[in-house]
Amino acid sequence: MSMVIERSLKYLDERLGTASFARRALRKVFPDHWSFLLGEIALFCLVVLVFTGTFMTFFYNPSVREVVYDGPYKPLQGQEVSAAYDSVLRLSFEVRAGLLMRQVHHWAALVFIAAIVIHLCRIFFTGAFRRPREVNWLIGMALLFLALGEGFTGYSLPDDLLSGIGLRIFYSVTLAIPVIGTWVTFLLFGGEFPAGDIISRLFVFHIMLLPALLIGLVVLHIFVLVLQKHTQYPGRGRTQRNVVGKRLWPEQTFKSIALLLLTTAVLALLGGLAQINPVWQYGQFRPFDVTSPAQPDWYIGFLDGALRLGPPWDLNLFGYTISEVFWPAILFPGIAFGVLTLWPWIERRFFTKDYAEHHLLDRPRDAPARTATGTAGLMVFFIMFLEGGNDIFGVLLNVSVEAITRTLQWSLLVAPVVTWLVTFWVCRSLQRSRAHPARITAGLRLRRTAAGGYETAPLEPTSNPE
Amino acid sequence: MDVDRDRERELTADQRRAERAAAVAFTVAILAGIGLFVVYFAGGQTQLEGVLFCLVLGGLGVGVALWANHLLGAHEAVEERHELTSGAEGREAFGHALAEEVGPTLARRSLLVKLLAGAGGALGLALLLPVLSLGPAPGNTLKRTSWQRGSRLVDETGRRITLNSVPEDGFITVFPEGHEGEADAQALLIHVPKGLLQLPPEKLAGVPEGTQVAYSKICTHAGCPVGLYRATTRSLLCPCHQSQFNVLDGAKPFFGPAARPLPQLPLGVDAQGALIALGDFDAPVGPAFWDRGKK
Repeated sequence: MSMVIERSLKYLDERLGTASFARRALRKVFPDHWSFLLGEIALFCLVVLVFTGTFMTFFYNPSVREVVYDGPYKPLQGQEVSAAYDSVLRLSFEVRAGLLMRQVHHWAALVFIAAIVIHLCRIFFTGAFRRPREVNWLIGMALLFLALGEGFTGYSLPDDLLSGIGLRIFYSVTLAIPVIGTWVTFLLFGGEFPAGDIISRLFVFHIMLLPALLIGLVVLHIFVLVLQKHTQYPGRGRTQRNVVGKRLWPEQTFKSIALLLLTTAVLALLGGLAQINPVWQYGQFRPFDVTSPAQPDWYIGFLDGALRLGPPWDLNLFGYTISEVFWPAILFPGIAFGVLTLWPWIERRFFTKDYAEHHLLDRPRDAPARTATGTAGLMVFFIMFLEGGNDIFGVLLNVSVEAITRTLQWSLLVAPVVTWLVTFWVCRSLQRSRAHPARITAGLRLRRTAAGGYETAPLEPTSNPE
Repeated sequence: MDVDRDRERELTADQRRAERAAAVAFTVAILAGIGLFVVYFAGGQTQLEGVLFCLVLGGLGVGVALWANHLLGAHEAVEERHELTSGAEGREAFGHALAEEVGPTLARRSLLVKLLAGAGGALGLALLLPVLSLGPAPGNTLKRTSWQRGSRLVDETGRRITLNSVPEDGFITVFPEGHEGEADAQALLIHVPKGLLQLPPEKLAGVPEGTQVAYSKICTHAGCPVGLYRATTRSLLCPCHQSQFNVLDGAKPFFGPAARPLPQLPLGVDAQGALIALGDFDAPVGPAFWDRGKK
């Protein structure tokens, strides 16, 4: 056995020079901190998405041709539905393990984007995007947008009522692009809504164009990471010139394999037990039907909320119209994601004037302006996300949706400012106290003296980062 | 050899515990894997499949994690960083290479280079052309629907609508006959009690008996069907973003993000008492677009 391995290694090395590369790779050092695993969780979700998604493409039929449903789900028997919707029902009810695959795929998509967002927050709040890592920040942002695109296109494929309405809203948003909106929309959708081409086009986007870009950029993201080596938190023995942690082999390999298995295990459990997107309950898409309450997947929630919060202002420019949809659904995300994408340059130009290389991370409190801006931005998204569920909260709290909308409109003006100021103040206080926010100790430490009495002892600062 | 084996036996209590726990975890994974086979061949059951699949993966994962954390021995490693840049020297060398090799090659043939760029641009534009094949030109598509003067009102199944089809404060989704289910033609016919509508005369002329009023069902905000009618306030509510429209006052929006009223469909009655349209909607239906206000 070992003879075979030895000979194949020799064969490869003589032709590709793999030995020295592999030796270096095995000795690569990974910082030992949980927050460095967030990106890995996203990566492992992607692996699950590729496998479950490939399985589903063998059954899915991207066509809106009308067929009569004659499968086992009684309420829809005999109804005219699209071939796409029909194939999703067959995958769910007639293909063994089909429903599990579908639900695991959907859950993996939700966790994928969540992991990306939390990973993004970690990079942002620790200043890991600073020189020389701006390029990888941009690649990461592109990955976020591609992941959102994957989520939305996949969500729309079953051609059910809920996703059909989502598609209708997306159509209205692209129509609202000034000047070229009508053309862009007609080229994208193949005509006026609901043109028959859109489902098959979304399918091509979902399983070919976007995944090709996504996987290509993931590879590039990791390549740049390896090239530049990891950042690390400050601590004993850790400098700008080194990386302290565990080697790829064996520690990190074991840890990553365990994380892959556990991530997949959680997704399998969710996919098995937690029902998600039961399209047979929504019914097939018909352009004159609508359901209420209606919520999209969580990552589109902020946009749906923004549309609900938006002011009823359309604008007439020399006879041309700027839609009221333009402000919340195009201008706001454009500015928010634009600022986020350009943050490494904005921060150094307007706040820090810091053009130096950084391999040691900040703790969030070390950069109060950045941390405050980040939390204020998160607050904006959170308020919009809440508004996206205003009809549900209305029922739960027995309050009118009008009251919720008005309250959140005011909150949108006030809360981010308050959040900024409070965060800034908390960061400053933490800097002074040198306490760890999760380990703040209150009270006194008593020490027994040699004489048998007691005296107070100073509290040791517990700010040692691990 | 024997010494090595003895040393391996000198496990700490912690390691022995971890080893036992990992063994249990792997065993759970094996058993769950067998269970998965059984369930699959017995016909499959989504919830059981999920749980068993989770146990296979989870057992393996927990075992490997225990192995990683307790049995490998923690070796902290340090790796030095290397300068990423090629340095001033490297850049200068590259600059020279550019200036001496690339520059002169192109400079000698400046006319050809310009033509080459032009040809490249022409090719690029030509390659973009197929994009225009992806959809028809918008033209007037968004400003017109299938409603014409004389179109009979029918419901989604094609049943004709008459003056008595809708009870007072009731409503129904209507289409032009022959275009049932068409997305942009859908309209709501509402039977409003007599004398309540506050419309200018030219709009009231399209409301038979002063009670049968029809508006486009497509929200002027983001295009959802405005599916909810509140008889108590005689308002229409869009369930997507909660725009609300006053039925009595020309379906003008009074709450929510919509900025324009729902276009009205002028109605009349034919000789048999069936409802017909007197023309298309009085404005383009649905969400706003750039040249919406242009003829």
